[in-house]
Amino acid sequence: MTSPQTPIVIAGYARSPFTLAHKGGLAHTRPDEIAAQVVRGLIERTHIDPALIEDLIMGCAFPEGEQGFNIARLVGFLADLPLKVGGVTVNRFCGSSMQAIHMAAGAMQMGAGEAYICAGVESMSRIPMTGFNPMPHPGLAERMQSAYMGMGETAENVARKYGLSRAQQDAFALHSQQKAYEAQTSGRLDDEIVPIKTATGIVSTDGCIRHETTLEALKNLKPAFDQNGTVTAGTASPLTDGAAAVLVTTQEFAERECLKPLARVRSFAVSGCQPEIMGIGPIRSSQKALERANITVDQLDVIELNEAFASQSLASIRDLELNVEKINIDGGAIALGHPLGATGARITGKAVQILCRNGGKWALSTQCIGGGQGIATVLEGL
Amino acid sequence: MNSATSEPITKICVIGAGVMGAGIAAQAANAGCQVVLLDVVEGAAQSAISKMLKTQPAPFMHPKFAKRITPGTLDDIRLVEDCDWIIEAVIERLDIKQKLYGQIAPHMKPGAVLSSNTSTLPLEVLIDGMAAELRPYFLITHFFNPPRYMRLLEIVTGPYTDPDVSQRISEFSDHALGKSIVFCHDTPGFIANRIGTYWLHCAVSEAIKMGIGIEQADAVLGRPMGVPKTGVFALLDLVGLDLMPHVLDSIKTALAKEDAFHALGPAPPLLAKMIEDGYTGRKGKGGFYRLNTEGGQKIKEAIDLTTGEYAPARRPKIDAALAAKKDGLRATVEHDSLEGRYAWSVISKTLVYAATLASQIADDIEAVDRAMRLGYNWKWGPFELLDKLGTRWFERKLKSDGQDVPELLLVTTGRPFYKTVDGQLHHLSFEGHYRPVHRAPGVLLLQDIKRKNLPMAHNSSASVWDIGDGVACLEFHSKMNSLNPFVLSMMNWARKELPKRAFKGLVIYNEGTNFSVGANIAMLMITAKLRLWPIIRWILRHGQNTFDKLKTAPFPVVGAPHGMALGGGCEVLLHCDAIQAHAETYTGLIEAGVGIVPGWGGCKELLTRWSQSNHRPGGPMPPVMKSFEAIATAQVSKSAFEAQDLMILRPHDGVVMNQDRVLAQAKAQVLELADGYRPPPPIDMHLPGPTGRAALELAVRDFVQKGVASPHDAIIAKQLARVLSGGDTDMLDTVSEADVLKLERDAIIELAKTPKTRARVEHMLKTGKPLRN
Repeated sequence: MTSPQTPIVIAGYARSPFTLAHKGGLAHTRPDEIAAQVVRGLIERTHIDPALIEDLIMGCAFPEGEQGFNIARLVGFLADLPLKVGGVTVNRFCGSSMQAIHMAAGAMQMGAGEAYICAGVESMSRIPMTGFNPMPHPGLAERMQSAYMGMGETAENVARKYGLSRAQQDAFALHSQQKAYEAQTSGRLDDEIVPIKTATGIVSTDGCIRHETTLEALKNLKPAFDQNGTVTAGTASPLTDGAAAVLVTTQEFAERECLKPLARVRSFAVSGCQPEIMGIGPIRSSQKALERANITVDQLDVIELNEAFASQSLASIRDLELNVEKINIDGGAIALGHPLGATGARITGKAVQILCRNGGKWALSTQCIGGGQGIATVLEGL
Repeated sequence: MNSATSEPITKICVIGAGVMGAGIAAQAANAGCQVVLLDVVEGAAQSAISKMLKTQPAPFMHPKFAKRITPGTLDDIRLVEDCDWIIEAVIERLDIKQKLYGQIAPHMKPGAVLSSNTSTLPLEVLIDGMAAELRPYFLITHFFNPPRYMRLLEIVTGPYTDPDVSQRISEFSDHALGKSIVFCHDTPGFIANRIGTYWLHCAVSEAIKMGIGIEQADAVLGRPMGVPKTGVFALLDLVGLDLMPHVLDSIKTALAKEDAFHALGPAPPLLAKMIEDGYTGRKGKGGFYRLNTEGGQKIKEAIDLTTGEYAPARRPKIDAALAAKKDGLRATVEHDSLEGRYAWSVISKTLVYAATLASQIADDIEAVDRAMRLGYNWKWGPFELLDKLGTRWFERKLKSDGQDVPELLLVTTGRPFYKTVDGQLHHLSFEGHYRPVHRAPGVLLLQDIKRKNLPMAHNSSASVWDIGDGVACLEFHSKMNSLNPFVLSMMNWARKELPKRAFKGLVIYNEGTNFSVGANIAMLMITAKLRLWPIIRWILRHGQNTFDKLKTAPFPVVGAPHGMALGGGCEVLLHCDAIQAHAETYTGLIEAGVGIVPGWGGCKELLTRWSQSNHRPGGPMPPVMKSFEAIATAQVSKSAFEAQDLMILRPHDGVVMNQDRVLAQAKAQVLELADGYRPPPPIDMHLPGPTGRAALELAVRDFVQKGVASPHDAIIAKQLARVLSGGDTDMLDTVSEADVLKLERDAIIELAKTPKTRARVEHMLKTGKPLRN
């Protein structure tokens, strides 16, 4: 694989605080409103002239209700983007906003524009995870139960297939909480957060992190999905509300417009797998992306591996032979939360941020996707 | 503070966030009031609210009502400034209460009322030193624990209390708080606690004296006397043993030397020892009864009153207790056995005490009886018990025992205390004249109507009554008010005959313990065992047709439930034009518990309610999912307000706080609807069909995996999913009500064929409890 002819860079990253669905500070705020404030925040922080943006690509896993219509276009209106800027909503479930980045990069390779906002949003409080009207194809549901399988069950399947014990998963989750809490208290999460104005006040801090949790507390949780299983609410990412956005431009544009290019998008990939073990999605997609960037796992300095569940994270780490020290340095989704459509932009933005902060060369952001897919992006420090 | 006002009471302050104060605050919130709850301890009010949200049975009728309470401390005393009624519920210490009144008074708005929830201190003493201008606005309002569930409110007024003030408070407490008001004289312990504690104390000391086991004592005092099945000792465990010495002390100190209370002697030493050892009742390590969990098993043990040792509790068959079942209470107290003699001793002493006191403590005997029924959950008050025993018989028995006969008993000259005169219930006055039993204005009771009239139609399980103004009332009176073919036949009679007789409408109401526990499933069991599928189908269709005919009758039908309205009982309500529910209505479609789905139109009606609701997301699935969730998990509302969440009650339906006012409200609504009434047109629905079924089945699969549903639950849920999703329909097609009714019938037949459903039905009939298999 050759390197891209037109170098594409990430030139900014911002997100809302991530708060618990139903009881968190963002539960009563519409998702389009949250997303618009984040988009606005990204523009203000990067100082890009919004008139130069080609398109707002917005990922969302359940684009209905308040996330319905074409939410990307509406967020454009809410964020006062010039009317000439486009808006498109994409859905690859949890991979939606990483997909948005890929689409922007691909389009720019075709010479279609020079700057894109790639965002994602999910209010899991206001739009339930199966949507308001789950209407599976009865024939497919009968023939291939895994097509619509609940995520918890797939996490159990992965745990079983990889022989991952309850203790291993608990330890992984605790570590994620500790890293996130440490990052939060030492202020490493502050820069990326756009405080969100809600009807009842401003929400400016992450609400999912459980700093008080202990191994003992995790050990005492009941299995959440299978009475004989090993996956608990403590080793799964919580239902979360939030939005994230990154600014993706050509390197040339970034330099010309005096933006701050942070890292180059070097390669990306998607892959499919068996839906009943969707959690292993990162393995093949990461391998493909690394091959396309012509690097090996050992060369990675920063890895953002989305923690949908501890079990699937551990399985991916094992098969990809990832260096645990380099993974989710500021905590992962088990602690921070996982607003489905927003996560891809968050972990890609986070990988770039850490790459700049720690001065490495190569970063990988990757995640699993319900229905049996994986998605991965390789980023190169500048 | 110049004159009494008749302004509605909308804001209440309760001071003292203990169990009683907090409970009263919750009930005021249930009544729709804004409430301020203050306590001397910082944070106590807030923590009382949080604790109540976790308490079962719940003090709040809906968790959201907790927000109506503003917590605070006495530093926030200015919060009383816009309150209409301030209720003091602090510790029973005169100095503290009097000082508090002084603190409150300057902040009270003109016309505001101050009352004390004291259970022992006389009003006369409480107002000692009180500013003269406050006295007209002061009275005692004595609630019973728990305030939401105990219907009694004792009100004591003094010579200075403005009659308008006491009327304002009693009317509000009656209508909004749902209480039955008993006006008491200003004597120690008022009515219920005076007699109640005497009774409890007497039962304990006599048991020790006579050497009777507590299981025997409870058996002989429980059912025969009509007190809660807990009897005496289990009741004390529930109340808390540590409370007993306090209450005894405070009442005894206040009582005259010659009062019979003193003759019972002090609290037994065993009680002090038990309290010291931490056996304070259910809230502690146990009480007279305890659960021994050593060795992994839960074994109920009972204390031996002489040795203080625990031994496994027995469930003795006591002849003296069984005798009451056949021959009434007299057979128990006359029974020639230790238990019989014990029963006589406790019951006779208690009744003599009540008869001796009545004129000192109450306006009439009916007040005493009502106080004991509603404050201590006795089935019959002391004078009703005396009527059961026979006043003449009782008098003679006392005489033959060489005991003094209370004067009131002599006044009866052998006549009963209660008698129906000219179709109206009368009670005997203290002077020996029959006087009509007073009902609060606007109260309409079926029991009163029944004294006057014969039913228009009746059979063994139901009757139809004329309740005046062209309104009829259908009453269930089968065993536990279960629905059977006889009940259905009365419904059909009403449907056919009422229009002929120019009736304007029908109320479905009764005064049993519960509105209805559901369809009688005995027939389902027999027919399923014999595989008589066509007969099951016929029963289902017959019920569906009957309910549908009521719904489409040319007159309005208003359901007026209280207590449990389950399964078929809930289905009756779902077919009514409107519902006027007592606030304490526990309703839901619980058919899954007996292995079936609602089959008398319950699925159809809940679906149509959700389909027509604006309070749901759009699309074909939400009505199906909402109905599915409620039925598959057999949700039962814990109040009428929760029934609104379940969509069993609609916005135009009413919640009535006072059970005695339910019938009048329902009748009024019939009359309101009758003018220009048109029956509701049938509704066509768009249901998702197989895709909806597939979605629900996926969810059910997750529940089984999680272990919250059994494999048979899944089978029931799948049948339910088929009914609610409209069978094989497509969402572009319309599904009629008749289509859904057929799906209900099909589902029940399929389920009746399974051995596990039959086992569930059988288990319910045998034990009264659902089987999870």
